[in-house]
Amino acid sequence: MSPLLDVRDLRVEFATRHGTVTALDGVSLRLEPGETLGVVGESGCGKSITALAIMGLIPMPPGRIAGGSIRLDGEELIGAPERRLRQLRGRDIGMIFQEPMTSLNPVFRVGDQIAEAILLHQDVSRDEARTRALELLRTVGVPDPGQRIDAYPHELSGGLRQRVMIAIAISCQPRLLIADEPTTALDVTVQAQIFDLIRDIQDRLGVAVILITHDMGAIAEMADRVAVMYAGRVVEEGPADAILDSPAHPYTRGLIGCIPAIDPALAALDRLPPLAEIPGVVPPLHLLGQGCAFADRCIEAVDICRKVAPPLTGRGHAVACHLHAAAAASEES
Amino acid sequence: MPAPAGDSASAPPLLEVRNLSVSFPMSRGLFGPKRVLQAVRGISFTVGRGRTLGLVGESGSGKTTAAMAAIRLVTPSDGQVLLEGRDLMALDERAMRAERRHLAVIFQDPYSSLNPRNRVGAIVREPLDLMGIGSPGERESRVRELFRLVGLRPDQMALFPHQFSGGQRQRIAIARALATNPALIVCDEPVSALDVAIQAQILNLLRRLQDDLGLSYLFISHDLGVVQHVCHEVAVMYLGQVVEQADRRRLFTAPAHPYTRALLESAPALDRRKSAGYRRKAAVEGDPPSPLAIPAGCAFAGRCPQAQARCRTEEPEQTVRDGHLVRCHFPLG
Repeated sequence: MSPLLDVRDLRVEFATRHGTVTALDGVSLRLEPGETLGVVGESGCGKSITALAIMGLIPMPPGRIAGGSIRLDGEELIGAPERRLRQLRGRDIGMIFQEPMTSLNPVFRVGDQIAEAILLHQDVSRDEARTRALELLRTVGVPDPGQRIDAYPHELSGGLRQRVMIAIAISCQPRLLIADEPTTALDVTVQAQIFDLIRDIQDRLGVAVILITHDMGAIAEMADRVAVMYAGRVVEEGPADAILDSPAHPYTRGLIGCIPAIDPALAALDRLPPLAEIPGVVPPLHLLGQGCAFADRCIEAVDICRKVAPPLTGRGHAVACHLHAAAAASEES
Repeated sequence: MPAPAGDSASAPPLLEVRNLSVSFPMSRGLFGPKRVLQAVRGISFTVGRGRTLGLVGESGSGKTTAAMAAIRLVTPSDGQVLLEGRDLMALDERAMRAERRHLAVIFQDPYSSLNPRNRVGAIVREPLDLMGIGSPGERESRVRELFRLVGLRPDQMALFPHQFSGGQRQRIAIARALATNPALIVCDEPVSALDVAIQAQILNLLRRLQDDLGLSYLFISHDLGVVQHVCHEVAVMYLGQVVEQADRRRLFTAPAHPYTRALLESAPALDRRKSAGYRRKAAVEGDPPSPLAIPAGCAFAGRCPQAQARCRTEEPEQTVRDGHLVRCHFPLG
């Protein structure tokens, strides 16, 4: 089966006052129909830039796609005319962002905003679009949809606004849904509702999801496969269980180790052990050297790590780490 | 009724809060009725020496207002606050100012809590300047010592806040909080704005400082994983009330209030895997009600999966058994 989305060797550069920085440095991702890919990493790792690039929304300038390919169902999106991208966005690719208040237009009723998305991509009448909008509000679990269809965004809670965003995102039955930190601005009980809703919708519509998050717990609950990003590169990629249970990259291990997980066995201890730490901070992109971007924070780093950037190697579960590659090679021989 | 005590010593606890209420009159609009926002509704708790009490809840639960009222940064409408037995509410401005050296706050956002135009050495020294503690030379050496204590280098004292990362800025905020050698530090979501790897560094630092300096923390957080990691006792707040309070072990291993259980169930966790078919059991519906329109009966009844008729009409009293406080007609067994 050919993948729904095939991103290869994507390079994105930005012109900054420090000169040109490479925000994405050879990112490759694959997504099968109906699958959820979790993209996880800290601020500045490039996870949101990846999403913007897929949607053709990198601001140019200062941004520039410096290389690579993004194929949706075999169709190349890099260099595609803006008209075509506009057609795909909202119809084949739905989007949900972090802050639903800023992604909805405050001066239009939410029903009209959903209807607008439908009218833009489908040949239906205004009345039909409104009927569809009402159905969609019901689908995404907005209570009293008949009333709420005429509400303005500020009249809704954060959770309901995010449901409206999801209604817009799925209004044209997209094949791909990109959710960029969709619950970060929400309370924990509401976050759980939104995650449950995304999974329900996925079951019903068979839509593939790219979930961008900083939260490994969200990855466990939502993702089939995971890409871990660091400083503009994918450093580890594979099935969610493999990444969570046997992380191979020192960064992934650190990222999982430093989570203060809820655990009754730990809570019962008189004294909890300290959290694992990753020393230092993510380096600014303009200061990245030749070697592995994580080398300066990696307790296992050796000479080669500071000289040569490791390629992402391995099938199924891929890792970009010299040490892991060496260990894997010695196991094979 | 005394709240569950943190320590068993006969000396008064460091901080004791009794029946604290805070309400804010709201603007009534042009002709509207006068409205009152009841942010905190009669809560009691104690913080023992060298202990951490967590205040947990979602936005609007009153956790920050309660903590700020407990150190008189917000004026309570009712209740009593005792710091080492001294009644803070009975003090005049001048006497309260003298007490301030025993109290400090660390805020959520280290980007807005540090004055961008001051050098960070001056920022950390400011509480000493304001309280007139020590000679200029002594203050300078105290600031050096504080920088080392929080993991910064004294040669960084001449830099400005923007020259530091988020995690380093939070270290500066911690150094400032420690300047006057306080007994109690209110930590208001101190790691919520930080990436998870940096969050672990700061949480470990706060625990180390507590061990070394005998500090007490009143720790506000919406993240139960963080709370489990740093708190000895936990009070769960909902719409201005404490609905459950217990030591860490009991709260996490045997939660008695349905809301606490819902919070625990809502938080994403690494062992709740999509691959294993995980679906949430007790999803809580809807959003928290507005503190401007507090419902009759139990405030949580409208969202509680176990609610019965009585819950909607009759407000539950709090019951305390073995120091485990619950405010629920039908606590979980």
